[in-house]
Amino acid sequence: MPSFEPDQFESRGRREWVLSLFFIALSGLLIALPSPAQEQVAGVFRGTVLAPFILVQESLSQARVRAGEMAELQQQLDAATAALSAQRTLLDENQRLRDLLELRERAGPGFQSASVIRAGTRGSESMILLDVGRDGGVQVRDPVVSAEGLVGVIREVGSSTSVAMDWTHPDFRVSAMTLDGAAFGFVEPRHGAFREEDRLLLNGVPYYTTLEEGSAVVTSGRGVYPRGILVGAVESLAETEAGWRRGYWLVPAVRPAAVTHVLVMTTEASPSGDPRPGDEGVEAFWGLWADPPPDTLAPLVETDIPGGAEVIREPGDPDLPPDPDTVPDSAEPGP
Amino acid sequence: MRPLGFYRAILCLLPVLHFLLHVGFGMGRGAPDLLAVGLLLLAREVRTGTAAGIGFFLGLMEDAFSLLAFGANALACTLLGVLGSRSRELFVGESLLFLVSYLLLGTWLRAALHWVVAGDDVRRDATRALLIEGPVDAGYAALVGVLILLVTGVWRRDLSV
Repeated sequence: MPSFEPDQFESRGRREWVLSLFFIALSGLLIALPSPAQEQVAGVFRGTVLAPFILVQESLSQARVRAGEMAELQQQLDAATAALSAQRTLLDENQRLRDLLELRERAGPGFQSASVIRAGTRGSESMILLDVGRDGGVQVRDPVVSAEGLVGVIREVGSSTSVAMDWTHPDFRVSAMTLDGAAFGFVEPRHGAFREEDRLLLNGVPYYTTLEEGSAVVTSGRGVYPRGILVGAVESLAETEAGWRRGYWLVPAVRPAAVTHVLVMTTEASPSGDPRPGDEGVEAFWGLWADPPPDTLAPLVETDIPGGAEVIREPGDPDLPPDPDTVPDSAEPGP
Repeated sequence: MRPLGFYRAILCLLPVLHFLLHVGFGMGRGAPDLLAVGLLLLAREVRTGTAAGIGFFLGLMEDAFSLLAFGANALACTLLGVLGSRSRELFVGESLLFLVSYLLLGTWLRAALHWVVAGDDVRRDATRALLIEGPVDAGYAALVGVLILLVTGVWRRDLSV
């Protein structure tokens, strides 16, 4: 039957094309999936087929850390011990005063140290894998920090691993402020031509607030991140919208590519079980990455009043002359 | 005739090596794109639908590390599998020159497809991605791929340029 064979080949060929189109459509579907579903699929692969590769890097990373400069670590340990012992009396005193005032324990965050694992595959930019997970108290949206400052935030948590996005991720946003609290704004990433050129933009700064080059910018405590984590330092003016707002380029405190070890700020240590460290634990971070700011709640002392008298000025007191630092420059156009 | 089973085993090991170098050893772009090399060579050994399936699976594995463009690798690799499989009907050749050209073009095509499919968040300057980095990466992958095939001996009999 001569006509049978061509039909069979044709049918097989058609089947191959249908199968190919099916996989192409499936790929398209993956792209269109909502982000949580995508993360679930990715999580299944990372937890099964790809787990051995992740384990290899984890082991290598740990071996590298262990083989690192032990002398330097010892030095740091000694310094930390010395600092802790010096603060012990202050802690005791603080505890006594709290007891006297019947104040409850301050809720503070816990820290989980983690090794950074990088996939290094196409499209894996802005993503880091950490070797701590739910077992270590890590939760989604826990901040990821390093000794230099803010690295990113946890996106997905497994039992012993987690996925974080660093600040170069386009979805990364953090509410930030200058150390003196003079300017607040949102920090967002801006891509450069090369990944090394990625930098941060402090956006939404009031138009009449000018920031000095080199001013430290820290998290403001609004939103996911507790207050006081160093984000970067002001580099230059990026953009202005006349009379409304300014944007400033920041030199990031952390270059994600150089990070090998991080700390995840968890809420495990919070005795009250607060979902976020929030403002209660704020002061814990001042001084970790930058000098502590002046106490904004304390009365401001005015010393340059004629006659040399010191005037105690409460913030926002209308009876006193305005603070020269907050007066808009008259040379600049009004809104 | 080259030993087909051994040849296919080597091809299957290339993606494993790819993930070992990229993820296990964290070499990033310092490691060649052996996933594309393995897929391109496997695609010429199997039917179109199977090649698409292999491409989809391998791409999906790579996408497991992608927060920014999930699915882009899967689509790029699926298309690459289909094209690689169909290339048998267009080009018949087993010479070293053909192998190098095929791997070079295929690996570059994979990078180009990914660049097209990935969103704006990942997509960088086209000139740099497609005309500078793409060819360099493709050349590197093709070179390493050919070297692996030569060293393992699976291509020894076909050294006719």
